[in-house]
Amino acid sequence: MTWSPENTVFSILKVIKAKLAAAFAMGDKVMRSRAVAALEYEAEELDNIFAILVLGVLIGMPSPPIHITMELLPDMEKEFQIMLEKVTTAHDPLGDLFSVLGIN
Amino acid sequence: MKPELQFFIGKGGVGKSTISAITSVHLARNSSDILLVSMDPAHNQRDIFQNHFSEKPKRVSNHLEVKEVDVDYWIAKYLKETQKTIKQTYSYESAFNLQNYFDVLQFSPGLEEYALLLAFEDVIHKSAGKDIIIFDMAPTALTLRFFSMPFITLIWLKELLKLREQIYAKKEIISRIKVFQKEIQQDKVKDKLRLLIQNYEGLRDLFISGATRINLVLNDDSLSISEAFRIEQKLIDIGMHIDTIVINKVQDKKIPERVKNEFNSRKFSLFPIASENLMGYEALKEYVSMNPQTFLSN
Repeated sequence: MTWSPENTVFSILKVIKAKLAAAFAMGDKVMRSRAVAALEYEAEELDNIFAILVLGVLIGMPSPPIHITMELLPDMEKEFQIMLEKVTTAHDPLGDLFSVLGIN
Repeated sequence: MKPELQFFIGKGGVGKSTISAITSVHLARNSSDILLVSMDPAHNQRDIFQNHFSEKPKRVSNHLEVKEVDVDYWIAKYLKETQKTIKQTYSYESAFNLQNYFDVLQFSPGLEEYALLLAFEDVIHKSAGKDIIIFDMAPTALTLRFFSMPFITLIWLKELLKLREQIYAKKEIISRIKVFQKEIQQDKVKDKLRLLIQNYEGLRDLFISGATRINLVLNDDSLSISEAFRIEQKLIDIGMHIDTIVINKVQDKKIPERVKNEFNSRKFSLFPIASENLMGYEALKEYVSMNPQTFLSN
């Protein structure tokens, strides 16, 4: 492409357009993440409740018949880890909740 | 054709094992293929038949095989298989941390009746060619826990599946809204819960089906009769019904009045008191020959 004032302006506009698109995409991603943050927290809490219901016996809580725990245990590594993490951070559950809700 | 299942249940010491053995010998003499399964950890069948039995069915006559369920074997087998699956699916660290829990889990309450249920499923699975399978059950408490297990387990499993579906629905929404979010994987736990529900519904249906006959054994004494009454009520609560009231050690070949009053309109089967100890296959055969009227209704 030969140099001309029109081409230069066109190139600059293309760059600006790309930057704007990237900024918009980033903004969209951030907004979407913020939109589901509470839902993600809720899903994780439900995962934890499910884990405590099934695997509670492993942290000293009442549980369903032991064979249900044993049958589901092999497929619940992720929930098991969540449950153990929740047990270790259980001293500050409100702090955990406030950080998700963005309350200082 | 699926075999008929006959359970002999009742208070400890009323003669469940003896009645199961006599009934097995009688039915086998009529050319039905019979498997007698001792589900009672006390394993009286080896004393009654004067023979050694194990998990592998042993033939004692042309049409009769006997096996003893080894609860400890089933608990150990089950724990070993679960541990093996965990080692395959978990990261090394998590599996390693769980090892300590497994050492304790084997002593958890509830595993004994679950082991009985696993053994029962195994018997059903491997006995397709039999006409009748006779189960000599453990005393009342363990037997009732065994029968109620599919019913209780189903309540738990259905509630857990509901919660799991709720979690999965939320994760699907998150996955749709978030950009670059990986598509959520098929939920293995949900699939497992569905599979377990299907399995336990099969067991529950088998327990309440016409192919399952529950024979409640009792003696003509107040303790045995009142416990038998409570057993029947518990079974009714979970939707199961007694087929026959078996009265053991009757003196004058008549239904005792108090048994008739307590269980009126039930089918009765009377087993006269034996003149001598029933030990060995020959003695059992002789009892059957001497008391043909006992088996007329069976």
